[in-house]
Amino acid sequence: MKRKDADFDAGRPSPESLAAGEGNVNLEDPRLVMSLLEADQVVAAKRQSRFGRRKLSVGMRVMLWGLRAYVVVMLVLVVVSVIRAIHPAP
Amino acid sequence: MLWLLVGPGVLVFLAENDAPSMLSYSATGARFGIGFFIPFVLFTFLMGFVVQEMTVRLGAVTHRGHAELIFDRFGRFWGFFSMSDLLLGNFLTLVTEFIGIRAGLGFFGIRPGIAVGVGLAIVFAAITTGRYWTWERITLGLAVFNGLFIPAAILAHPDWSAAGHAMLTWMPLPKGNGAEILLLILADIGATVTPWMIFFQQSAVVDKGMQPRDIRAGRFDTLLGVLLASTCGIAALLATVPLFHHGIDATQFQAAEFAEALRPWIGHAGAALFALGIFEAGIVAAITISTSSAYAFGEVMGTGHSLNRPLREAWPFYSTLLGSACAAAGLVLIPRAPLEFVVLTVNVIAVLAMPPALAFLMLLVNDRDVMGEYVNNAWENAAGITVTLLLICVGVVFAVATAFPNLLSH
Repeated sequence: MKRKDADFDAGRPSPESLAAGEGNVNLEDPRLVMSLLEADQVVAAKRQSRFGRRKLSVGMRVMLWGLRAYVVVMLVLVVVSVIRAIHPAP
Repeated sequence: MLWLLVGPGVLVFLAENDAPSMLSYSATGARFGIGFFIPFVLFTFLMGFVVQEMTVRLGAVTHRGHAELIFDRFGRFWGFFSMSDLLLGNFLTLVTEFIGIRAGLGFFGIRPGIAVGVGLAIVFAAITTGRYWTWERITLGLAVFNGLFIPAAILAHPDWSAAGHAMLTWMPLPKGNGAEILLLILADIGATVTPWMIFFQQSAVVDKGMQPRDIRAGRFDTLLGVLLASTCGIAALLATVPLFHHGIDATQFQAAEFAEALRPWIGHAGAALFALGIFEAGIVAAITISTSSAYAFGEVMGTGHSLNRPLREAWPFYSTLLGSACAAAGLVLIPRAPLEFVVLTVNVIAVLAMPPALAFLMLLVNDRDVMGEYVNNAWENAAGITVTLLLICVGVVFAVATAFPNLLSH
């Protein structure tokens, strides 16, 4: 993980070099542009673009539905256990 | 320097040391004393680090909140399912925070209406600053008082050598009713690993304007949060060990009752610190959890959702934040409301709702179209999958124990 951060910083031009117009800065790289903006500007800029919808494989759908069923069953069991705790059997 | 580095990571872990969490640790200390649960609590925080580190990367790389990203990549159908889990869990947790606020100040003789009003006023004051940075500093300043549990633990004069031995060996193992042990294991996990933390930290990372180059600092911030919060959590557990040694049955205790019961052994000052700690835990969590709901709501509805935005621009965001806090506070003041139902279930529900939240998190953080070179490596995937499977296993054991109550009773 250290390598990834270092690589990203290594490819990032300094504000001074940008001001002097040095180097080949590719302003079409959205991540580079984002890294140069202030926090407020990032929040505003991100509204301009969206990630596309991901295609879900059959396996992925089965997993998501399985986990959804898991949550529903568990919630029912939580209600059962709480009723037992509040009204314990004699 | 440290003050500049800390942020969403420290905040999310100290906020998760909330009223029901401290109650869980206290109940654990009072029931089982020093032993298995001390390293277990630290272990749950390490699981929390594995999960929260992924949200730092997701937020810093995508500049999007978690709810927004789920809607973008998986569509409205799955997005609304995640949102319903989050909002239900958040609201129930928020109710327990106001129970903690009421109980904490109740120790000092403050009436419930005034206590809850003070809580709401602090939530309101925190958001009137109009800047994420100022809001974060105010909330972090309040979160520092989570450390009140440390002097309370010292006043309980715990056996430090036994605590050190337990930390290294996980011994002695808890003995007794299996169902009770399982419930405390679930509650202690739910005190550290919950869906709202995922949504909150990612949104806060975005609102703070963190970039990929800040990921290393974000990891440090999250690790520091783990260290601080686990220390305070274990301190709450140690503070109630005298109840274990004196055979006091604390199974039905609420927050203020722990403080009252501890008074003979840790003195009035220690009991007061404990009660103030519960109040602080409720306040900080009320601020962050209501903000988490507001972030998610704003992201999904496509309305302004930033603490950097003024009220007139992001009024749905602020309305959700204050509305959820007011509704939870109001519920606490209803006479004879079945609040024990909420307190009993909130941490358990958090654990049971985690596997789907973790599945979305793992899918997103392995999505190369979203993360680019910042996708999980093999070790991060192994750790994330292990945490997910562990939570599913605990849930299945809970299901079996509920369906066959006599199985674990002895």
